[in-house]
Amino acid sequence: MSRAKLVVALAAVIALLGSVGVAMATTGATTGYPQPKIVVPASVSSPYEQRYVLTAAGSGAGIRSGEMKLEFEEGSSPEFLVGISEFYSYSPDGSIETSLFTFYPFTEIPGGKGLKAPALKVGASASYGQVTPDGELQLFKIEGDRVKGQIRLHGNGPWPVEFRILGDDESTGGHPPAAKQLPEAEPNNPGWGAEPSEYEGEYELTNAAEDPTEKAGTLGPVIGVAQGLGTKGAVVSGGSMTVKGSRDSAIAEVTIETGGSTRHFTLTKLAWSGDKRAAQVHENGPTSPPVGRFEGNGTNNEVKGRLIDGHSVYQVVFVKK
Amino acid sequence: MNGVRSRHPARLIPMAIAAFAAVAIVVSGCGGGSSTSPSGSGGESGSSSFAGGAEAACATANKAIEALGTPRQAEVLKYMETTESVIGKLSEEVSALDPSNAAEKAYTAALAKSELVLNQMTNAARNENFDAVREISDELIELHLGELAENADLRICAEVPEGEE
Repeated sequence: MSRAKLVVALAAVIALLGSVGVAMATTGATTGYPQPKIVVPASVSSPYEQRYVLTAAGSGAGIRSGEMKLEFEEGSSPEFLVGISEFYSYSPDGSIETSLFTFYPFTEIPGGKGLKAPALKVGASASYGQVTPDGELQLFKIEGDRVKGQIRLHGNGPWPVEFRILGDDESTGGHPPAAKQLPEAEPNNPGWGAEPSEYEGEYELTNAAEDPTEKAGTLGPVIGVAQGLGTKGAVVSGGSMTVKGSRDSAIAEVTIETGGSTRHFTLTKLAWSGDKRAAQVHENGPTSPPVGRFEGNGTNNEVKGRLIDGHSVYQVVFVKK
Repeated sequence: MNGVRSRHPARLIPMAIAAFAAVAIVVSGCGGGSSTSPSGSGGESGSSSFAGGAEAACATANKAIEALGTPRQAEVLKYMETTESVIGKLSEEVSALDPSNAAEKAYTAALAKSELVLNQMTNAARNENFDAVREISDELIELHLGELAENADLRICAEVPEGEE
């Protein structure tokens, strides 16, 4: 299994090197991908075998810029597409981080609307051989040299994306220009629903995972801290939330158990719009300086999303008791 | 998390008696020969000097790590640096104890490996690449250091230091 992951990761990196900065033939860069079970007719997939530069993305995706290449796997029969992208993303603290994704296997969007593929994230270092499912890319019909679509990453989205097809001799030189940030409607209604009774109450965390520090001995705490860092989201092993107060004065007290330690947060400025939920995150009570944001969705007594605390991101799903 | 463990004197008395009795049994069984106690997997015997020394070193390391608490955003690098230093010292002390059986050697080797992994994590934190810090920490999880400590009959080394906010 790990060898397979390594092959995929290396293939992805090789493909990326082929895609960045150098105008070259678009065949022969990807190897090692198994034949997908679902065949997309060549007549449908061929137009997508291109190099692309990201021109626009939903602001919620946090992607500053990026480029992508889709090509047919060498020697495959029937031919199938494999995609590789490099995105430069805004981290929670505003710095720029690089994310590599492969897109495989491609299938048709129902109704002949285009193609879609799971987004597989390549690890920070390819030597770790980590490729993990992290979302989905949809590419709609190509219009001229443009193709629109949408992307889901880290369990969030979808966000709209738009790419421009690069000409054969065209290159970004490894520095794709900043993509236009498409504004999203921010939740602006106070509270987390039309009526306080919809959201006030006690919640329990339902996405608890096995505690990674359990058998770690002395290393437990540092694992707990490290697993809470980055954009993917920490492993949470337990938690609860109490929402009280109505509308403008509504706050949520959140407790999250992660990596053998317990974190307490206070959420203020609760806001909603449709199924979107947002709030400001504080570490030391509602009057302390905000350290991040909560962004997510809420429906049917459930609130789920990302609680961002500086460098740490906690993926949480709370269900009303 | 201060105060979670009992420090009540009344509980210390039976503990002290039990410890005294255990020492007495070991001493009476030695007869001037080499002192060994059942330890480790595969029926091999470990050295009591290794266990005693490792447990003492782990107790010190655990205390130092507990004192670090849970770092805030701006404290992550300092936390990583200090943890690397504490684990490095622990690894050095345990290695010097000359592990004898397979379980003790496995624990010692994992500790040494963790030192290298922690160094990579600290470097990633220095570069503010926190995704990498997280990904590299998967290697620490895979070491199962606590489980290896249990296999080597190292009770304190198997404990997870308690986190504080």
